[in-house]
Amino acid sequence: MGTNAKTLRNANAMPAPTWHFLRMNDTEITIPGNLSVAPAVSSMVAEDAIAPAGMFEYSLAMLQLWWEVAHPTDALQQASIAAVRAADAGATYGGTAQSRYQMRADAIEAANSLEESFETGVGAEAAEFLRQAAGDPLVIASAESQVVNALVTVQGASGAFSAAAIDVVAAMDSTVNLDVVVDSPDASDDAQGFTATTIRVIAGFGAQVNIRRMQTLDAGFCDIDDVGIVAADGACVEVAQTVLGGEKTYTGLACDLRGSESRIDIDLHYLGHGDQNHDINYIVRHHGVRTECDIQASGVLAGTSQKTLRGTIDLIRGCKGARGNERESVLLVDEGVRNRTVPVILCNEDDVAGNHGATIGHVNAEQLHYLQARGLSEKQAEALFLESSFDHAIQQAPSEQAAAGVDRLARAVLGQSVLMRDAEEDKGAQ
Amino acid sequence: MGKLLDIRGLSASAGEKPILHNIDLTIGEGEIHVLMGPNGAGKSTLGQVIMGNPEYAVTAGSIALEGEDITEKAVDARSRAGLFMSFQTPTEVPGVPLNSFLRAIVAQHGELQLKGKRYKKRVSQIMEQLEMDEAYLNRELNVGFSGGEKKKVEMLQLLLLQPKLAILDETDSGLDVDALSVVSRAISAYRDACAGSLLIITHQKRLLEHLAVSHTHVMVNGRIVENGDASLVDDINANGFERFIKAAPNRANAPDDAQPAHFDATAAVAHMEAALAAADAGKAGA
Repeated sequence: MGTNAKTLRNANAMPAPTWHFLRMNDTEITIPGNLSVAPAVSSMVAEDAIAPAGMFEYSLAMLQLWWEVAHPTDALQQASIAAVRAADAGATYGGTAQSRYQMRADAIEAANSLEESFETGVGAEAAEFLRQAAGDPLVIASAESQVVNALVTVQGASGAFSAAAIDVVAAMDSTVNLDVVVDSPDASDDAQGFTATTIRVIAGFGAQVNIRRMQTLDAGFCDIDDVGIVAADGACVEVAQTVLGGEKTYTGLACDLRGSESRIDIDLHYLGHGDQNHDINYIVRHHGVRTECDIQASGVLAGTSQKTLRGTIDLIRGCKGARGNERESVLLVDEGVRNRTVPVILCNEDDVAGNHGATIGHVNAEQLHYLQARGLSEKQAEALFLESSFDHAIQQAPSEQAAAGVDRLARAVLGQSVLMRDAEEDKGAQ
Repeated sequence: MGKLLDIRGLSASAGEKPILHNIDLTIGEGEIHVLMGPNGAGKSTLGQVIMGNPEYAVTAGSIALEGEDITEKAVDARSRAGLFMSFQTPTEVPGVPLNSFLRAIVAQHGELQLKGKRYKKRVSQIMEQLEMDEAYLNRELNVGFSGGEKKKVEMLQLLLLQPKLAILDETDSGLDVDALSVVSRAISAYRDACAGSLLIITHQKRLLEHLAVSHTHVMVNGRIVENGDASLVDDINANGFERFIKAAPNRANAPDDAQPAHFDATAAVAHMEAALAAADAGKAGA
């Protein structure tokens, strides 16, 4: 079986679009034809933590029951749903002037349906396509208070489309640690292929879900990292993403902080080199009271690489006491790079806080002086940031294969190993 | 002992504001100099100017290291030539693990021959000496470090690089007793390892207790107003800076300040009257 050429439109779309001429609202993902669909996916997870397909849908339905008891839909809301849906379907608009985005957002909220509002960061079309390509999902389900560790490895191969679908259902007070490694260890220099993962997560009451994904693909590969999360009361989700390789990469994450005092921390590290293009989209919707999100993105862009980061924090009516923070730091090493950042904070509630900040540019004057005072020139200081991306990735590598993948890329980009540096320096000194 | 650092007639400014005035300072090989003075005297600025911080402009005079004029040299070249400055407030550098940073700076000082296992062994030794957990190596440089931890990282670099001259800019400020003890031992270890020279900028005597101070300088209003031996530290400790402040020329009548040496009140009044007359004539014309 092979892929048909396909273009996924409206991928990594911002929930509330900005001016179209800026060409920032979304992106298109082109899937080449004639790639063999042969998922090269391996997983290491305890037998008792693997659940049958359908577990995610069942758990979402259970979460819906809890939500409806806690937030019943009244007659007025039902009428509102009908009116909004009619308007959205093209009937005569009435009442206040609203954008199509606002109408749709209101309809989703009024529907009070977790299933209807569940989303992944890259988007519905991509998620559906990826789930078809990946076949049966790996379903990881923890029991109450259980700790589950899982490692999934997706191996990119030339001429192949390798995708994995993963569902995580974390029961009350349990912990799920999911590591995902995406690599192309055996690819030749001219290899071209496609990899993807699509992950759906239900973080139950008081559960802790930690997802760490490391991507170290060779230059001829494209990659999609699609994540959707819904968090119940007191759930805590930590996501660490490292994007080092690939030619075109698409990273999308959407999180619904549905339960009160639930939170998500996102930590993205990326490196742009050669003519790489990284497209990233984060959407965090605060429904519950006192929910918190913290999005931290840091990266280095060198060569003629490009990066687009859309980060939307949506403070929805009712999320009193919620706090959302997004912060980005981008170091531009070469003149040919292109960086685009769109932080968006949507607010429909008072007594909330939404912050964003970005540091974009060359090494700042104070840092540069400090580094120069230790003997580094400006160029060497910038090279240090590039090298540090690999050192940081080695520290974070969830498996030996991931570490080897980081090292392979370091050799290609820096011309030296970061894993065997000591041994190679010793050899050179002899 | 030979001259290591020789500063002659050095004046420097930050933007339009003159800060240092006609500084003469000579530090010999292996000597320990202490620079004291009230807050805002220009002590840290002198350290920064010696190190070549581009925020400050040298307006007169020269700085020579081992006989070579380095007044125009870039900061990194001064470091490679053997100058080191321990910063009063070390800069945080997100995205760069401490270990990556140390490797990079050691590579710029090839004379140390610290590569591979030798580098790792030396860093381990120093960290043990400084009572630092090696887990710090994986943390981003100075990010989230306490004041004491940052100063230890400065000492780690001092011991690793073993410079010819180290300028310690209030390295003892904000340290508790235990951290101060660790830093004092680190300075002694630096001296034992390479007999390097020191220029210590400090307000306190404790850091100096185990060091053989050879010269003490007092700076007031951007000028060195007194030179002495180690006993001057005790004098200041007992009596403060008041007598130096009273005796020092103030900024307004300093001969090399931007302001004129003599303010001609008559000329100023005449200038103002002429300006007012011109303005009146303009109004009448309109």
